[in-house]
Amino acid sequence: MTLSRGDVDHVATLARLGLSDTEKDRLLGELEAILGHIARLQNVDTSTLAETAQVGDLVNVMRGDETVEPIGAAAALRNAPASDGSYFVVGAIQGTDLDA
Amino acid sequence: MTEAATIPAALDRYEVVIGLEVHAQLLTRSKMFCPCPADYTSAAPNENTCPVCLGLPGVLPTINQQAVEYTVRTAVALHCDIPAFTKFDRKNYFYPDLPKGYQISQYDLPLSVNGHLAFPVGGETVRCGITRVHLEEDTGTMHHAGDVLQSATSSLIDLNRSGVPLMEIVGEPDLRTPEAAREYLVRLRQILMYIGVNDGNLEKGSFRCDANISLRPHGVQELGVKVEVKNMNSFRAVQHALESEIERQTGVLDAGGTLVQETRGWVETQGRTISQRSKEQAHDYRYFPEPDLPPLRLDAAFVERMRAALPELPEARAHRFREQYGLTAYDAAVLTDTRDDADTYEAVVGSGVPAKLAANWQSGDVAALANEHRMPLQHSGLGVDGLASLLRLVDAGTINGPTAKELLAELYVAGGNPEALVRDRGLAQVSDTTELSALVDAAIAGNPAAAADFRAGKQQALGQLMRAVKDATGGKADMPLANRLLRERLSEQ
Amino acid sequence: MTPRTITELAAALRDGSTTPQALLADALARVERTDKDLNAYLSVTRELAEQQADAAARTLGDHPDTASPLCGIPVALKDVLCVDGIETTAGSKILRGFKPPYTGTAVQRLFDAGAVCIGKTNCDEFAMGSSTENSAYGPVGNPWDIERVPGGSSGGSAATVAAGSVPYSLGTDTGGSIRQPAALCGVVGFKPTYGRVSRYGLIAFASSLDQIGPFTRTVEDAALVFAAIAGHDPCDSTSEPRAVEDPLASLGAGVAGMRLGIPREYLGDGTEPGVRASVEAAFRVLEAQGATLHEVSLPSTDVALSVYYVIAPAECSSNLARYDGVRFGNRVERASLTDMYLQTRGAGFGNEVKRRIMLGTYALSSGYYDAYYRQAQKVRTLVSQEFEAVFKEVDAIVCPTSPSVAFPMGSRDDPLSMYMCDVVTLPANLAGVPGISVPCGFVDGLPAGLQVIAPRFEDARVLRVAHAYEQATDFHTVLSPYAGKAA
Ligand SMILES: [Mg+2]
Ligand SMILES: [Zn+2]
Repeated sequence: MTLSRGDVDHVATLARLGLSDTEKDRLLGELEAILGHIARLQNVDTSTLAETAQVGDLVNVMRGDETVEPIGAAAALRNAPASDGSYFVVGAIQGTDLDA
Repeated sequence: MTEAATIPAALDRYEVVIGLEVHAQLLTRSKMFCPCPADYTSAAPNENTCPVCLGLPGVLPTINQQAVEYTVRTAVALHCDIPAFTKFDRKNYFYPDLPKGYQISQYDLPLSVNGHLAFPVGGETVRCGITRVHLEEDTGTMHHAGDVLQSATSSLIDLNRSGVPLMEIVGEPDLRTPEAAREYLVRLRQILMYIGVNDGNLEKGSFRCDANISLRPHGVQELGVKVEVKNMNSFRAVQHALESEIERQTGVLDAGGTLVQETRGWVETQGRTISQRSKEQAHDYRYFPEPDLPPLRLDAAFVERMRAALPELPEARAHRFREQYGLTAYDAAVLTDTRDDADTYEAVVGSGVPAKLAANWQSGDVAALANEHRMPLQHSGLGVDGLASLLRLVDAGTINGPTAKELLAELYVAGGNPEALVRDRGLAQVSDTTELSALVDAAIAGNPAAAADFRAGKQQALGQLMRAVKDATGGKADMPLANRLLRERLSEQ
Repeated sequence: MTPRTITELAAALRDGSTTPQALLADALARVERTDKDLNAYLSVTRELAEQQADAAARTLGDHPDTASPLCGIPVALKDVLCVDGIETTAGSKILRGFKPPYTGTAVQRLFDAGAVCIGKTNCDEFAMGSSTENSAYGPVGNPWDIERVPGGSSGGSAATVAAGSVPYSLGTDTGGSIRQPAALCGVVGFKPTYGRVSRYGLIAFASSLDQIGPFTRTVEDAALVFAAIAGHDPCDSTSEPRAVEDPLASLGAGVAGMRLGIPREYLGDGTEPGVRASVEAAFRVLEAQGATLHEVSLPSTDVALSVYYVIAPAECSSNLARYDGVRFGNRVERASLTDMYLQTRGAGFGNEVKRRIMLGTYALSSGYYDAYYRQAQKVRTLVSQEFEAVFKEVDAIVCPTSPSVAFPMGSRDDPLSMYMCDVVTLPANLAGVPGISVPCGFVDGLPAGLQVIAPRFEDARVLRVAHAYEQATDFHTVLSPYAGKAA
């Protein structure tokens, strides 16, 4: 399994993980080793196997359309790093903030 | 608009290919995955939230059954197939209005596929395929200081809308003109409102639309480079944005340039689209099955229950109105525009008012009053029953047209019982032949010159005599009868 | 005073020889004496505990016969379990100071039963690890040897029971995080069937694998706690609606006539000889109790580790996206949003968490999904099928819990060698089956654990086999030096 430093950069951006160059270099090696181990997955013949996203056979688990009293803005904001009135606040958003 | 002139020219050279994606909020009481009220406009910011829709650590979603039912209802109304197995998936991306860092949506196995919507445009029927209708959750809302995204220094986040059930209706690229695109949206919105799943408010964003548009030379099979257009919050905006985009793309192609696959936003104030994001920056959403929600297996019986519960849809109802009530296609379309309109009409006719009379009044004076007061009849002082009893008085000849018109305007706002008012105020029209004949004689006697003129062949002179009769009854005269009696008397010699 | 079990304390509370307040004072004193060394606690919730002890005293006074056996008895909770108004960090810097505005279902059920919560226990950050060395708040010492790890990720919850501070605690098990530290700390650790205990209020690591369960000193106590926390929860759509079988009813039924399977792959070369010897001795004990032992095969055991290290990181990469500095948690303020995200998450998460987010993001990303995530999901099906096939032959599986005893801190700095710790526990998570670890001996003074695994929803059977073994041995009665010291 070969992983490039560019792959690490790309994945870190996708995951919004700010990593130092040292961290990225280390992760490159570690991820390569782990992916190398995981590669044995490819040897399993899965042509007849269904995918298991979750164990068990529960289906159609739904709730009725009834409301419950919300916790309210004060409780919602109690842990907020920044707020204004009853809004959460973040810094400036650029057009590129949606990209990855 | 300058576009209007250039579009037909462009259509000579290029075929326009348009596909629309609609996001429609569902009219449930509670949110999609938590029991908070889905009403996000009337509460203070972040008031209608709980740990689930705030995306706090440790929470889990639960599926609102009503939202599933509404989506299936929509899907069957749009002639979709409902697969036996469907599931939710996570769509991963970061944005401050998306609390969990992923949206619970549906990816490869949506609730419904393969439907269509047919509608007339310019006398021809357009049939637009519906790729899929799926269910997901809405995001919160953001307010940017100064409301200009680019120059704002901070953004405010309100999560009241976070988790409101959202239906995504993906159309096939079957539309060929901006007009058809607009008409598709009008019809789709009408159906959603008819079946009671969405309130159709483009301005407030409970019904939202994105468009994909590309151009290709006529006869070419391969699709051109696709541009996605966003930020259109009215039917007009959709049409204008698409026209503007056709003009822009035509310009690029005519100049021998190539288009880039990108997302562009419609800027209403500038009347043009501007680039937001190119394809190289396209998202990698890393969809995978939502492990916190078991899948759904909707059996045929469930789907049939949803189908059986569908109301008569607008097109079918208009057709029936023409057949059953003898209405013109135009009247039938107007009277079935909304389900409330059509229900009102049928209630009024059902109460004994002749079909044509009810149609004229409802699409005329009632519609004008509703528009003037920005209040539908159902919520007016008069109400549906009041209109019906008023029109029965008209039909019975108890009151004349002008009296009915005045009463309608008054009662629309103030409310009241038309029959009682007519009785108490003595508004019943004078239609007794003996009584009217005496008034006719008096009018001729009091206006000898006019009578002479009429006899001399001056038809307009009758007007003065009619007014005299009308005034003598305080406006309550049965005017068609008065007219006949006047002509009879004046022709006697 | 020797640390006592839930059963013993419940009796003592009823015969008037102690009170909830006295038990609380004793527990807090033990924490005070031991935790400077152990670092098992991230917070001590004295105020909450005092209120709960007073309330429990009233309940016991009014209704001694109908009060839950857990009423008035101290408990410690792994710090991934949300408690209203109580700091809950998941062992992460990013959540320092975070106080959830709600209490999770399993914890609420304990509170409703009258439990007295004395604190939140240390763990690997977001439950990712097998040694509790990945906590942002420092490692936890093993009460049998303070230089060694207690296992993980629920190391604090295991250590505090082993140290005798509380008779029981709650942990979570995603790939072995209850069973493996139970084995390494010489206590009982039970991972119920996936879906049996609500996950609502459990800070998610890997949603399709996580399960809450107890650490106790006896199997009977584990059954008591399980009975209190198990059952359907409308807030967790993956929780099983079927009624819970009373685990106490069949607890003492023994193993006579039972067919027990030993998967040959679970005693491979990686198993330390001392562990192997302890476990094989345990097999003989079970035979002596009337069970028959049969070699069985779970051929995909080796590849299950790979399945796990695709699925768990993939789910965690998504589950941990919410730690973005917007609504809660610690933000690193930056002028632009993207920089705020990058720095907040870069500074807030530790190495193991970053490693798994990277791995999982990669496995889900465009172009790699089919090769990694989808393939892992398919092989997961195979792992489940192999368990089902084995359970057609045998009633339960018996095997080691961990291939090794507690290892020295810092000795496994290579991620892969650490991941190998879970090789015999994680298949049960992939298949959603219940598993328990009970003390089965000592290797150079360090505890070893016997694991019992049964089919889905046969939680009572797991407890019954473990109980039969426990009653025939006395390893569970041996106290760690810290429990002895505390006495
Ligand atoms: Mg969508
Ligand atoms: Zn909510």
